[in-house]
Amino acid sequence: MRDFLISIKRSPFQSAASFLVLFFSLFLAFFLLFSLAFFEGILAYLETRPQIIAYFQPKTNENDIFKIRDELVNSGKVLSIKYTNQKEAFENYKKMNQDNPLLLEMVSPDILPPSLEIYAKKPIFLPQIAEYLKKQSGIDEVQFQKDILDRLLTLTSILRKVSFSFFGYLFLMTTVILVAISHFKLALKKEEIELLKLIGASFFYIRKPFLKEAVILAIFTSIFSFSFAILILFYFQPFLISYLQGIETLSVNFSSFIIKIWPINWFFLLIIFCLTLFFGVFISVFSTFLATNKYL
Amino acid sequence: MIVFENVTKKFPLGNVALENVSFSVEEGEFVFLVGPSGAGKTTILKLILREILPTSGSIFVNEMDVTDKNFSKILTLRRSIGVIFQDFKILYDKNVFENVALSLQVLEKYSSLEIEEEVKKVLSIVGLVNKEKVFPIQLSAGELQRVAIARAIIGERKIILADEPTGNLDPKTAWEIMKIFKKIEKAKTIIFATHNVDIVNSFQRRVLVLKNGKIVKDLRKGKYDF
Repeated sequence: MRDFLISIKRSPFQSAASFLVLFFSLFLAFFLLFSLAFFEGILAYLETRPQIIAYFQPKTNENDIFKIRDELVNSGKVLSIKYTNQKEAFENYKKMNQDNPLLLEMVSPDILPPSLEIYAKKPIFLPQIAEYLKKQSGIDEVQFQKDILDRLLTLTSILRKVSFSFFGYLFLMTTVILVAISHFKLALKKEEIELLKLIGASFFYIRKPFLKEAVILAIFTSIFSFSFAILILFYFQPFLISYLQGIETLSVNFSSFIIKIWPINWFFLLIIFCLTLFFGVFISVFSTFLATNKYL
Repeated sequence: MIVFENVTKKFPLGNVALENVSFSVEEGEFVFLVGPSGAGKTTILKLILREILPTSGSIFVNEMDVTDKNFSKILTLRRSIGVIFQDFKILYDKNVFENVALSLQVLEKYSSLEIEEEVKKVLSIVGLVNKEKVFPIQLSAGELQRVAIARAIIGERKIILADEPTGNLDPKTAWEIMKIFKKIEKAKTIIFATHNVDIVNSFQRRVLVLKNGKIVKDLRKGKYDF
């Protein structure tokens, strides 16, 4: 830490430049990761909603509906199917409109359609299931969120690609600038490096103080950028709350590990912090490594 | 201990620094390298330290081929050699203690306590007791050279290469520096490049006389004669 402070004192402008470049990159990286996780969370949320609802004509025979249900289950494309008969539909209708007696008076179980709520195993099966249902007799209407899901899938896929490209660009830009700044710093130590080489210092020994400094800089910068990003995030939280009204939780599933991302919680933020910290340390150490190579 | 076999060193622009030079130095020997400027004294020291490579010929230090490209062998070689540079190569942002300690720290095997003890011991040999915390800017040329010598002789460095260590010093200080060499000569192999006639003549050690990149004389208990 003493060497780190001495280095800042000796080359304040280079240290400030390194800090600002890394700060900018980590700040952007934070929001990039946050948005990506959020979009993945919304996508996962929408996938838990009934994806296709098939409404049958009110007088359709229940056995015909069960036959369709069984065929869908046997197709292997369906995750689950929920059947709602006319009575249950009426109960649901009553619950939804309990504050409006006029609407309740106008409706009886006979006019409400029985329905099948279908969850597909994969979004790509949705059009095939919908097409199949439309061809069946007794079907009155098939509703499914293809458009929304398609758009969200496309958006998430674009965001993922853009994020990776942007990360790549950010990594390249930060590395090039940090290498250039490190060269300035190393030039000040050129004589010491020359001497160390001649008295038998290993490359690692020569690099060690610079790498240490890079790690400390990355840790400090990560903490600063994270704190700043958190302030901004909490400032905009009321907007997010109103935007996501009705959605209780959002989570992202990593194989068997589920991370809750909404409401914003410290565990999720800690994961993002760890990722930005890793990114910061890696980029800082990598740049220093490249810069020191010139003198070894 | 140090063997040169038909060593030639040509620099890229074509000037020949050494031509077909052969000699050997035994363990514990004190050898003066003398000759006019440009004769090849510093080139010999740089070749021993593997700061530069020979154009042809072989150099062995402690039976190790200096031209070996294996980096761990180069490290071993350099860790066995203490160098006193003509321009001192003292680090001005480090105090006397830190400058001397550096020579042990790079070996990465000494504890802080051991380093402290060794530095104190060697500073007393070179006459810099109580100057540990002093920064080089506050030292005279003679004292800076003592720091450089302390850094070269500390620890287990068996070979000392001294490149005109008295070159920038007044006669009195130069003799004080030579007293230090007298103290350490039994424990180390010393190759001492110099122009100083009085020093060479009074020490009466082996003298290798260089002229135009060639060894023209190799005198046991020799005198400055070229």
